[in-house]
Amino acid sequence: MNIIMAALPILLQGLQVTLYIFVIAIILGFLLGLLMALLRLAPFKVLNLISKVYVDAIRGTPFIVQLFFIYFGVNSLHFISLNSTTAGIITVAINAGAYFAEIIRAGIQSIDKGQTEAARSIGLTGAQTMRYVVLPQAFRRMLPTITNQSIISLKDTSLLSVIGIADLTQQGQIQAAATFEAFKIWLAVGIIYFIVIYLLSILANFVERRFELR
Amino acid sequence: MSIITVKNLRKSFGSVEVLKDINAEIKEKEVVCVIGPSGSGKSTFLRCLNRLEEISGGHVIVNGHDITDSKININKVRQEVGMVFQSFNLFPHKTVLENITLGPIKVLSTAKDAAEKLAFELLDKVGLREKANSYPGELSGGQKQRVAIARALAMNPKIMLFDEPTSALDPEMVGDVLEVMKQLAKEGMTMVVVTHEMGFAREVGDRVIFMDGGYIVEENKPNELFSNPQHNRTKSFLSKVL
Ligand SMILES: Nc1ncnc2c1ncn2[C@@H]1O[C@H](COP(=O)(O)OP(=O)(O)OP(=O)(O)O)[C@@H](O)[C@H]1O
Ligand SMILES: [Mg+2]
Repeated sequence: MNIIMAALPILLQGLQVTLYIFVIAIILGFLLGLLMALLRLAPFKVLNLISKVYVDAIRGTPFIVQLFFIYFGVNSLHFISLNSTTAGIITVAINAGAYFAEIIRAGIQSIDKGQTEAARSIGLTGAQTMRYVVLPQAFRRMLPTITNQSIISLKDTSLLSVIGIADLTQQGQIQAAATFEAFKIWLAVGIIYFIVIYLLSILANFVERRFELR
Repeated sequence: MSIITVKNLRKSFGSVEVLKDINAEIKEKEVVCVIGPSGSGKSTFLRCLNRLEEISGGHVIVNGHDITDSKININKVRQEVGMVFQSFNLFPHKTVLENITLGPIKVLSTAKDAAEKLAFELLDKVGLREKANSYPGELSGGQKQRVAIARALAMNPKIMLFDEPTSALDPEMVGDVLEVMKQLAKEGMTMVVVTHEMGFAREVGDRVIFMDGGYIVEENKPNELFSNPQHNRTKSFLSKVL
């Protein structure tokens, strides 16, 4: 117990890094996913193709390869220099964005065509129809899947430790090595992840229920 | 003066032509009912009048705008043409009041108070003031359809299109909706109504159009058409529904 208590402040520091990266990446990833979903549904073949290539490329490759590609690969070109945190955020965002794009596309397509027709028939533009009629309904339906993907992305951040980001997993590694108490330290790390994800699902449940009332 | 002129209208879905050379004139303040067997193209015809369906050929001129012209701002034209659907299509995530005010606020840039004031007037008209803060899911079919009518009227349209507005309703709800429509007709609204309600067509319609197989087979004053149909197809259809 003493060992865990001693390691805890450092682990929590790592947690801060994890959460910082997660929150920024998930917001960016969501916006990227929304954009890609709209491109996918736009009435222009080129835009559809851009979105499709992006989604397929991300879904068809491992996260760790994407991370190495952005951190080592892109940096090796020397036209831009990404530090590890930025590379980590970008990778998680781009990765989550592809899955969000599919979730959002399916959500939009699940909304009855009659909703769009009613909105257009009162003179709303296509964009207004999306914004005020289709997306609000689609998001309600998508919330459980969005939560799921967010949890997956949060867990993916643990892989960022391999490029030296001092996240929760990385701090766990350091503590485990320093204390020779791998069992206790990794148990503690696991419990911290678990609690964060648990809180995240409670939050999602709460939001879902708020929406369900109508 | 025609407020709607349809000239040689054609509509195909893929290789299937469902409207074949439709010609029609609708005058201001006229109530025109469209009848015909299932699949004859009634809905498609109606949906071409506000271009919810892309038009394959011919011209549709609505209140002076040729909506087949691709350069026209169709959203502007749609503001002048209200539409009521068989399946209501209310926005389930918005209250009754928000359903009605969405168009005025976002499309006409009406101030919120003014839009709400108008919405309450319209709710009075359709007898649903007390439902202003309900969600569509809490309403009966007949109530939903009356809200849908109020939502369309909130744009202060010159023309109202109805696509079988009472077909999805329980029989005891039909009367309330028809009553609202009769009132509208009385106030001089131009209306095009696809309907199976022959009683309504006879009582309220100025003219009835009978469609079959993508054509307008015949049109006439309701009493004339019902009592003295000219074509065999009209006769056989009427013998089934009257
Ligand atoms: N989106 C579509 N894609 C392909 N075919 C369609 C589409 N909409 C309608 N059709 C076809 O066009 C024809 C006319 O349909 P429409 O809905 O206009 O008939 P209707 O007279 O309104 O029939 P009902 O009384 O059943 O509503 C039908 O054969 C229908 O199958
Ligand atoms: Mg129909």
